[in-house]
Amino acid sequence: MIEQAGNVLAAAAQVNSGLGICGAGIGCGLAIIGAGVGIGLIGASASSAVARQPEAGGRIFSGMIIAAALVEGVTFFALLICFLTVFWLRG
Amino acid sequence: MVMVAVSAMLLLVVIPAAIRRNHSLVPRGMRNIIEAVCLFLKDEVAGPILKGHTEKYIGFIWTVFFFVLTLNLLAMIPIEKIITLVTGEKNHFGGVATANIWVTGALAAVAFFMTHIVGIREQGLWRYIVNFAPPVPWWLAPLIYFLEIISSLIRPFTLAIRLFANIIAGHMILGTFLGLILIFKSYTIAAASVLSSVALSLLELMVAFIQAYIFAFLCTLYIGFAVESEH
Repeated sequence: MIEQAGNVLAAAAQVNSGLGICGAGIGCGLAIIGAGVGIGLIGASASSAVARQPEAGGRIFSGMIIAAALVEGVTFFALLICFLTVFWLRG
Repeated sequence: MVMVAVSAMLLLVVIPAAIRRNHSLVPRGMRNIIEAVCLFLKDEVAGPILKGHTEKYIGFIWTVFFFVLTLNLLAMIPIEKIITLVTGEKNHFGGVATANIWVTGALAAVAFFMTHIVGIREQGLWRYIVNFAPPVPWWLAPLIYFLEIISSLIRPFTLAIRLFANIIAGHMILGTFLGLILIFKSYTIAAASVLSSVALSLLELMVAFIQAYIFAFLCTLYIGFAVESEH
């Protein structure tokens, strides 16, 4: 009887770890949504800026690349933490 | 460590060899490539930011850019895996240098010490500490100063992790796509997987250049912040 209770508790503890891994996966998805929206906004404003003044195309493009790389850098922090969460919870 | 040394040797040998017999006013060949990149970094990137101090610190920025670029590009050739295939045992010979958090951390630490030492050397220790924060009303100054110190400590970490995560994400996705061949064991999946690996490798080449440029640009920006006084 006590043994069965212990087994149920052990199974519940494993379910908690599985929920944590689900949380990490959802976190990855949310981080990627943020990156997609951010870089999409950067691209949209860069395109409209080039449409207003085509001579400044080179400088606007280089500014867009810098901003996109910075946004992606922040996204990769979140992705790294989600990945490390999965790694910690599995072992 | 081996790849860092290999890339350093490559740069130290290739770049002077490209300039050796090529002293004409019109550059040709390899010297033209290197000179075009260096002039772009000096006039378009470092010039507007470092205005008067460009000549002093452009050597560091060129070094950082070419070093990170060489490490990223050498990562496209899987020498370590080929040697493992041939000899059948693990080795540490030709891996991906910037996919190692210690290598990018060391580069970021160099940039961190460079910005502070440059700032102290340009402005003197007392003026550098006083000018660390922009001029704000006296009741706001402690908070702003605290935030500036925190952001200055976070910067090397963001530099290191940005470069590391970009390179390792590319290689991890490449490894996953090629691992699909082992899972599915069919020819159509293998063809699709190899084609998408080619496309991903092209994307990785672009990421290699962009990340080297971003690292050099951010180093320039931080040195520019440290060098000018905030009036």
